[in-house]
Order: sequence, then structure tokens, then C-alpha cells
Amino acid sequence: MAQQSNTTGSKLAKLLKLQIGSISETIEKEGQTLFGGNNNLLGSDEITDFCIEFLQLLAALLESKDPHDDASPQFHALEMYFNNLSKQILVRGGRVEDLVRYIQFMQRTLIEALSNDKQVTVEDARAMLLFLSGLFNELILAVFQAYLDEKERTVNAQEAELRETATPITEIWDGVLTLPIIGTLDSSRTMLVMEALLNRIAKDHASAVVIDLTGVKNIDSQVSHHLIQMVRAVQLMGSDAIITGIRPEIARALISLNIDLSNVTTRASLSDGLKEAFRRMGIHVSGKAA
Amino acid sequence: MAIPGLHLTQIGSSDFLLEPLRNLNIRDQDLLLESITSHLQQARAYDSTRAFARLGSESFRVSRLYYDLAQQALIDPVYYAWLDTLARTVRAINVKMICIHMQPTAAFALARFMHEIPAFETALDISGWKKSGQ
Repeated sequence: MAQQSNTTGSKLAKLLKLQIGSISETIEKEGQTLFGGNNNLLGSDEITDFCIEFLQLLAALLESKDPHDDASPQFHALEMYFNNLSKQILVRGGRVEDLVRYIQFMQRTLIEALSNDKQVTVEDARAMLLFLSGLFNELILAVFQAYLDEKERTVNAQEAELRETATPITEIWDGVLTLPIIGTLDSSRTMLVMEALLNRIAKDHASAVVIDLTGVKNIDSQVSHHLIQMVRAVQLMGSDAIITGIRPEIARALISLNIDLSNVTTRASLSDGLKEAFRRMGIHVSGKAA
Repeated sequence: MAIPGLHLTQIGSSDFLLEPLRNLNIRDQDLLLESITSHLQQARAYDSTRAFARLGSESFRVSRLYYDLAQQALIDPVYYAWLDTLARTVRAINVKMICIHMQPTAAFALARFMHEIPAFETALDISGWKKSGQ
């Protein structure tokens, strides 16, 4: 099998060398259409370099001991080449469809070059076609993998940014922190909020923390336990925790979940919570005398 | 005051600051509890005598023992049990234990496994406790 694939590879390599000029020109032209010009994804020189590098890597694979071996360094190098190319195009706003079309175009160009050679027998052509379709399928998979990696990285970065903005801990008065929680509370978010809040208490030396739940839509048993843990941790650090804005449905959920709120100070609104914090700290806020 | 692994300092009239050192071995719990309570009682007896001599009456003010947790990055159930036992023991001699400088990591860990109200109180620091007027 290795012997046969080696023969297919060397025949393809020979064919590639004979027609390298026209193949290179064709794929470069298509590259300019898809990624250059108005699309502005790759520069003209970059496209030329990519085409040359692709043909060099393909020739190296075809001349290797077993071109079918997808664990060979030559195959890996070709895979990495497409991985990097796709990352570069995706980062610059390109579409994965265009990249896949370009790879299919490369494959078609090689098959057309094959048909131009009259010396290639039917058996050789069949073997070469099988080899090329297997190879390019793998390369398309590599591109999709890079696309998925890139997407995942983007989603992770967006999630991190959202987490950062979703926990706006503000020092509203000397030693008084407010934490308005908006959206759905899940366990991982509650843990992150708790960590950020405790670090902030230590940093700012806060005496009171007002946790406002006005924007919280849902709460489940696990999250309510985390919320109680958060309050307990704040109290352990020596600060007062005041929970405000518990919506009726949240209150009902807490009661039906048998959550003990006896050690938790609650107030109807954020404003009441702040008043309570000020009262505990001995601060009196009054209007300006007329 | 010389207690192995602990540094006990009297602050103010009848308050005490307890700072655990790196070599504190809480497995010697019984010995530590005896030493701490003994020191606290001796110091308080001395203060009461002085107050009696000065004012003609004894002082019955509840003393406070501030336990400094600044160097304790993590509190596990074993360490929590030590704090709880110490707080209950000193309460028996009319001393209130207040843990100060609890680290965020320690509070985070402790809040996760603690289910009952602890026997000790907590404060950001000594002045934080006094400021809140408790």
C-alpha cells in the first residue's frame, strides 16, 4: 500500500513540477479574486507567498515516504499551513465559506492539470483522484477546526467581557459598596460575583455591601444557596450585607426552597438598603437647609 | 505572653489581640486552650484588682479577644473547629472572640462549608468593630 501510494505521490509530484507555473498562476489569480482587491483580506504579495508555500509543502508531501500517512511531518506542515491561513483570514473578517471554496478550487486546478497530461493512465488517474480527494478533505477539516477554535476564542472573550461588565461593584460612599445584579444568576456567575465582591471588600475596607437583586429574573435552589453563602462570606469578612429588590417571584422561590433568611438583612429597594447601610454606619444624610 | 505558636497581647483596658504564628499547631488544642484561658484570666484578674483599688468596685465589662486571621489564606473545617472551640471556651470566662482581617479566600472557603452561625463574631479590624458600636 505504501509502495503504491509512494508511486502515486511521485507521479503527482512529477506532474506538479511540470505544470507548476500554470497551476501557481491559476490558484494565485483565484486567491486575488477571493481575498485580495476590494475584499482586502490579504495583500497581493501575501497571496503570492501563500501560493508558493502551498505548492512547496504539497510537493514535499508528495515526495515523502508515504504521502497517505496523515501523521507524517510533511502532512502536519500542510495542515498547519491551512490552519494558519484560515486564522489569518478569519481574524481579518473573512468567511470560512470562501476559504473552503478556495481549497476546492485548488483541488480542481490540480485535477485539471492531471487531465492535461496525456501520459497518465486510467488507473493512475483513479489513484491520484482518490489521493487528492482524501488529502483535500483533511485540509478542509483543518480549516473548519481553525474556524471553530477562533469562534470559541471569540465567544470566551465575549463571555469574559460580559462577566466583567455584569458585576459592576461600585463604592457609592466611603466604605459602602453596591452590587446591582442584572440578568440570570447561575452557579458559575454567582461564584465569580462572590470572588470579585470579597476581594473588593478587602481592597476598599468596606463596612457595608448592598446587593440589589431588582434585575434578577430567575433563581434556583443551587443559586439561592450560593447567594446565602455570598452573604455569609461578606459577614465573615466583617462587613454588613444587605439584600434589596427581591421581586415577589424570587421571594416566593426562596420561601418554597426553604432558604433561611433569618440572618440576612433585606430591604425593599436599593434606596432603602443604602439608608440602612448609612444608619448602621452612623451617617445621616439630609437635604440642604433653605 | 509565651504560648507556643501564638502571640497574645493585651490592648486597652481589658481587650486582647491573639496573633497566630507560623508554628501554631492546632493539634495541641487542649494545651493551647488552657494556656490562653489561663493568660486571659490572669490578666483580667489583675485588671479587676486595679479597678477595684481605683474605683472601689469590680469591672464586669465583657472582654474581647481579637483573633487576627490576616496570615490565614484558607480556613478548612479543622481550622474552623479550632476557632469555634476557642470562641466557646473563652465565652465561658466572659470573653467575646472577634475574628479580624479575614482574607477573601478564607471567607469564600468558610462560607461554603459552614452551616451554622459561628461562635465568634467577625470584623474588618479592631477599629471596624469599635466603629460599628457593637
